[in-house]
Order: sequence, then C-alpha cells, then structure tokens
Amino acid sequence: MAKVAYYPGCALKERSSHLDRSARDAALGLGFELDELETWTCCGAVPPVSSERVMNLIAPSRILKDVRDSGRKELITICDFCYNTLKRANYSIRNDEVIRKRVNAFLADDDPERTYLESDDAPWVDYDGEVKVLHLLEYLRDIIGFENLPAGLKNPLKGINIAPYYGCVMLRPEKEIKLDNPENPTIIDEFTRALGAGVVSFPYRTECCGSYLSVSSPDASTRLCYRILSSARANGADALVVSCPLCFYNLDSRQEAIAEAYPDFKPMPIFYFTQLLSLALGNGPEKQGFDMHCVDVSPILEKLDTPEAAEVGE
Amino acid sequence: MSQSKGVSPPKNPPLELNREMVRGEFGLRVDELSGQKLYDCYQCGNCSSGCPLAQEMDILPSAMIRFAQLGQKDILLNSGTIWICASCFQCTVRCPKGIDIEAVMDTLRQLALEAGVDHFGPDEISPELAAEVPQPGLVGVYRKLST
Repeated sequence: MAKVAYYPGCALKERSSHLDRSARDAALGLGFELDELETWTCCGAVPPVSSERVMNLIAPSRILKDVRDSGRKELITICDFCYNTLKRANYSIRNDEVIRKRVNAFLADDDPERTYLESDDAPWVDYDGEVKVLHLLEYLRDIIGFENLPAGLKNPLKGINIAPYYGCVMLRPEKEIKLDNPENPTIIDEFTRALGAGVVSFPYRTECCGSYLSVSSPDASTRLCYRILSSARANGADALVVSCPLCFYNLDSRQEAIAEAYPDFKPMPIFYFTQLLSLALGNGPEKQGFDMHCVDVSPILEKLDTPEAAEVGE
Repeated sequence: MSQSKGVSPPKNPPLELNREMVRGEFGLRVDELSGQKLYDCYQCGNCSSGCPLAQEMDILPSAMIRFAQLGQKDILLNSGTIWICASCFQCTVRCPKGIDIEAVMDTLRQLALEAGVDHFGPDEISPELAAEVPQPGLVGVYRKLST
C-alpha cells in the first residue's frame, strides 16, 4: 500500500483526534496510508508575516527538511493552520534568498541530537523548499481524483444537504497558498458532491469564524459563527462540513452561546470532511468520534439512506 | 431641533500633521517590517467593507492604513483594531492595489508589543477554555496578542 508522509500537528493528536482517526481510516479505504513522521514538533500555528520574524520559520522548516532528508517529496497535512504555516514557510524559503540563508544557518546550528535522520558523514545540504506540502483535500483532488471517489463508496451520502465551509487560512493568502480561488472556492463542494450529498452554497462560506479570537474575544467569535451558521441554514443546509480544527471548535462548541444570544437559532451539526469520507467508504458512525461533538449529529445520520435502510425498503 | 443639516460632528479632534509624520520614520518602519508600500493605498475601502470584524473595530482597516501613511503611531498602537483583527487575510486578497494589509496589521501588533505588555496574557484564559480550545487557537492567540 502506498505510504505518504503525514504531519498531523498537535490538535489532531489530542483535541481533534477524531479528525486524525477518520482521515487515517478514510485513506486506508482509498488504498494509501498516512505515514506519520517519526519525530515532529508544533509548526507554530501562525506564520510570521513581518519580515524580522525569521525565528518563527525554524520549526516548520525543520519539519520540511526532515521530510526531504528521509527521501520523500510530498507531505500531507490536514489542519488548515498547519497547512498554511508549512506552505508559507516553504514559499518564503523558495522565494527569498535572505530568509533561505538565515533559516538554513539556524537549522545547521541545531543540536546534533536532532540530526537523527542523517548519517554522521552526510554533508549538510541546504533546505531549499523542495518538499511539496499538500492538504489532504488537495491530495484527494489532484492525486486520487474526486471523479474516482464515487466508485469506491459503500454508503454514498444520499439524502442530506451539506454546506461546505472554507474559512480563512486554507485559502488565503492566495499568492502563497494557491489551493483554490480564495473568493469562489470549489474544492470542498466538489468533494462533497463526489460523496453523493447535496451541496449548499452560502454567502458566508469563506468568512472567518473568529479563529483564535474564541480565546481573547469570544463574543466576537459567537457573532461571526451565528452569521455563518444561520446563513447556511437559510440556504437549506442540514449540516456544515469543515476541515480546520479551530473552525470546527468555534462552529460546534459556540452553538450553546449562540442559542443564548439569539433565540431564533437552531443547532446545526458540524462534520469534518474526513468523517463524511470515512462514513461514505463504509466505516461506521462509531469510528468517527461523534461523542467529541457538542452538537448531536444523529439527526443527519438518520437522514442518510444507509444500505441497511435500503434493504429494509426492498 | 437645531441640527437641521445631516452632518455629524467629527469624532476625533483634527490631526496635527507635520513633515516628520508624513512619510516619516514610523511609516517607513511599518513599510520595512511589513514589506508593503503604504502609499500605494488610495483609500477605496475594499478592505473595510470585506472585513468580517469591521463592526467590532474602533478604526476601520482602510483608516488604519491612512493613519499609518500619516505617521500616527499613537493612534495606531492604541487602537482596539489590531487586537480584534483575526488575521483571516480577507483584506489582503481583496486589496486592488495588492497591499498585504494583514502584514501591516501584524507589524502594528508587533510594534505595540515591543513595549513589553501583553494584550492577552497567559493568566487571562479560563481553565475550562484552556482545556478545550484546539492548540492552533492557543498558540495563535499568544503568538499574536502577547510578547
């Protein structure tokens, strides 16, 4: 089975472990294995924007250099923050000679204990941004092909309408990320459609959910999440699909606060795209970590036309 | 009803401008750190109209850029805007002049934090929240809002 280097990042190892698990299950169902890096650190979550902060590029660059040194050319990640940070660090290293030299000077100066992937006599080779950073969705679109997904599905997601929510850092800034059109993205729409679900487009699909403001200004995040969820509802969505752990957390766990502030609000289940894929590939709901959700997803699962239901119907 | 004209009084006192402020040291430092050219901005307001957090801000993103052009360091570094910006890059992708406005915001946060005072310190988070927010939220908030 094909193995692809995989960087889970810290959220997927703990607080968003259901994203990690469903992704691994789904990958196996599609014939490849997410091969977690032997050793990795936090990527830093937010890339440095200002030019003096080269230090914040060291962690993501070291992760990418280790992938390169292990002889691999591609790295899959799922968390939108990790994706953004790794991809932008790579972009800076590729396109800015001053940054490239400074980052490599720091990397070369690392504790010898850290050069675990090199033999002692291996000469130093600068990391020049050779590794290709791929979002799992990008891998599914460009390598597996969304058009090839339907043939392998045991439980196509018939009968539910899902609103893809893109958020911010998966798409922006477009110059460096280049995953999709930042104003009119289609990648999660096409993915969801390939799984057999109805796709609902809504105006707030690329509008920020508040990101880390849920820590420092939770009320602001509550207002943003209300706008997003009620807009999806008004356009006919039964549920929202996301890929980012922080989007998931804000949109799922804030719903209690939203219901207090806005009496007209009705709860809306949130799914990771990997959970939908894993379900459609035939893995049961018990494997998706739905107990980690604040909003009950069972109304959606009941609406799905499962093979069992179809058999009963026949 | 003496106010018959629909003109509201200015919220802020008029700026005292001089040659040292306009294209001055502060604006050049913001240019250098952010890698942007502030004077490219022609105040179309696209950043402010697209900003999901504009209604929470005391100074709109486009006005932040204008104040930066005019070297208004105190107004910018004491604004609430730099701390309510969620770094979502909506302004950056919508700027018709290609200015990375988020890079300017990040630079202003960095300059404000150079004074050594956290806007949001480690002891300000509730234990419940600290135990459940996914790590990118925690790392992100402290990287952006504390020294």
